[in-house]
Amino acid sequence: MKKTVKKVLALGLSLIMVLSLAACGSKGSDEPAQTQETQETQEEQAPAEPAAEETEPAAEEEAAGGDLSASITLWTYPIGNWGDSATVESLIASFNAAYPGVTVTVEYLDYTNGDDQVNTAIEGGQAPDIVMEGPERLVANWGARGLMVDLSDLFATEAGGEIYESVEKACKGSDGKYYEYPLCMVAHCMAINQTMFEAADAMQYIDAENHTWTTDDFFKAVQAVYDSGQQNVGAIYCSGQGGDQGTRAIINNLYSSTFTNADHTAYTANTPENIKALEALYAQDGINFDASINGGEEITLFRNGTLAMAFCWNAAQQTNSDNAPAGQTNNGDTILPMLFPSDDGKTELCGGIWGFGIFDNGDQAKIDAAKAFIDFICNDPGQVKESVKASTYFPVRPTLTGIYDGTEIADTMNTFSAYFMPSMGDYYQVVPGWAEARTEWWNMLQRIGTGGDVATEVETFDTNANAAISAAN
Amino acid sequence: MAKSSNMTSRSKALVRRETRSAWLFLLPNMIFFVGFVVIPMILCIYTSFFDSTMGKDAQDTFIGFQNYVELWKDPIFVRSLKNTFVIVIVSVPVVCVFSLWVAALIYKMKGPVLSTFRCVFYLPVVTGSVAVTVVWKWMYNNYYGIFNYVGKGLGLIDNNINWLGDERFALWCIILILLTTSVGQPIVLYVSALGNVDVSLVEASEVDGATHLQQFWKIKWPLIMPTTLYILVITTINSFQCFALIQLLTSGGPNHSTDTVMYYIYYSAFKLYRYGYGNAMGVVLAIFIALLSAVQFKLAKEK
Repeated sequence: MKKTVKKVLALGLSLIMVLSLAACGSKGSDEPAQTQETQETQEEQAPAEPAAEETEPAAEEEAAGGDLSASITLWTYPIGNWGDSATVESLIASFNAAYPGVTVTVEYLDYTNGDDQVNTAIEGGQAPDIVMEGPERLVANWGARGLMVDLSDLFATEAGGEIYESVEKACKGSDGKYYEYPLCMVAHCMAINQTMFEAADAMQYIDAENHTWTTDDFFKAVQAVYDSGQQNVGAIYCSGQGGDQGTRAIINNLYSSTFTNADHTAYTANTPENIKALEALYAQDGINFDASINGGEEITLFRNGTLAMAFCWNAAQQTNSDNAPAGQTNNGDTILPMLFPSDDGKTELCGGIWGFGIFDNGDQAKIDAAKAFIDFICNDPGQVKESVKASTYFPVRPTLTGIYDGTEIADTMNTFSAYFMPSMGDYYQVVPGWAEARTEWWNMLQRIGTGGDVATEVETFDTNANAAISAAN
Repeated sequence: MAKSSNMTSRSKALVRRETRSAWLFLLPNMIFFVGFVVIPMILCIYTSFFDSTMGKDAQDTFIGFQNYVELWKDPIFVRSLKNTFVIVIVSVPVVCVFSLWVAALIYKMKGPVLSTFRCVFYLPVVTGSVAVTVVWKWMYNNYYGIFNYVGKGLGLIDNNINWLGDERFALWCIILILLTTSVGQPIVLYVSALGNVDVSLVEASEVDGATHLQQFWKIKWPLIMPTTLYILVITTINSFQCFALIQLLTSGGPNHSTDTVMYYIYYSAFKLYRYGYGNAMGVVLAIFIALLSAVQFKLAKEK
């Protein structure tokens, strides 16, 4: 009898352990990230960089700010130095000088666990007041689920009216409400190890001045570098979603195809051009379909000289000097940022747009304070440049110029403004069912990498991704 | 008679008092147990019958067993279940046999040497899984990992193997890591259990001419059976719940070859917001664990 009781008890306990895990969600996800996934996808049509100088006088914030009193929380993903506490505290100090009655508490998220943290907080009724990220999350995810506050009034301000139309469009939900107020943006590009390319006599295939190359020249260059003894030239990384915009960009640009339609109502990757691009990449010596790395890890391999090119790159990577001087690999090779190769000379880069959204926590005082914070950080003439500079990206308004003047990275940022930002393409990451579709994308690459028939796998992707749209609607 | 009745009522009062004290001592733990285990468990079962998702205006719709039906039509879930069973079927016996073998070798060693071995085998258990994972990820690295370096150096392989990026190897790589992090506790338990075996029984069998193998199977093995049972159940549950390694190393890839049910629960619930579907998977997993544990108890009882 005793044994029976013990048996039942033990079985019950084992049942309970599993069920409680399933119900509470996974504790494993609390562990910190092991990779730097700062290359989340986003997009946007690329406005040329600024023209006119902002001349607005400093606003008299103190008078308005003195009335507000609230304690709000800001959760920010690692968008440049917006993931650095010293920088953010300094920005908050500026805000508090104008709004002494508002207390801002910051929590720093990463791209590996940040979504889980926010989602858990939402389910627990403890969502942050402000979250800093891009339309992919703020608009297409949380906004579409009715969790965010409409920020139309911020777009109605003078500064809001100056925002590039394509950026504004990306911040608007399908219901016509704005769920993100943007601060900065960047165009994601690729990069090559110029020193390796020179040693392989492959620079002849590159227009280094304009940072461009054709599809044919791209493959010739890869072959030349491979023939020079560099076994691993580039990697179609596909272990996960980190930096996956890079793989989409190289494939979509090689033979000028698309990922979605212009209305963002269907995935259109199943085209002869994309299939041709995948087949060509798979057949190319030196290009590995690598299911063991993601975008962040590809960057690490590029920086340490294992790979001769990176498909996951942008201005922030080019100015990064953590392990070596900016613009150099760890062993001192020169890094040259490049547009993705295209057969028609018109590269379309995936972009990132980052800004702020407000969770509707039902407290109008907090919402007002949160809007005041966003307005100050993004619109205040005396503050906005510092806010953008902290992101290490580019402003979303043409009237904001000279952000990086006088800084060490000014030349690099000017290069990106001139040669890369104008090539920003469509921001398609707001398509319904995006989470499923991007998972299908890197799973498709994995299958192709292990010998799957390209046409069949692309068709499978297309079917599953479009099914996700139907399910989401 | 009156004296006897007095004694009975006094002893009843004593029992009542002790029972009350026992419940009071249990109360703090009971609160946590009910709040964080029992209630979530009930919610898990309840939610599995709904099309539950995240959203301000999202209404949970009762869909009966639809989530459960969908599970068996979902090829990813079926593959996850298969992978999970492979992990369990391989890792549970290997962990038990290996830890018993190691424990049998070291349990008679002197204090400091024994402690050193205990520390060595227990180290991966107490080391954070992220740290362990980072080291293994480096060793498995496709481009400069030590396995490829040694393999090529010894002439065992011609070209680098993408250990975590190749369907043929990825799951086995995960299992290898799981083994290193799973054997520590069983070894410590077996060392303790073997040390507690009555020496007089062993000596008596020696006098009777029993061989070492006979001593083990006839005397030590039955005596350490409760420990074995505990290790079997715990290792089975841990193997079924393999999650962190998958999330940190492969995200279920390549091509779902390392997806486990636990990871798929996480993916469905936290990435796709399909809470009801994820909970249904949790219930199914719990049933499998309960069944397997029951089999283990049954077999151990027969022994």
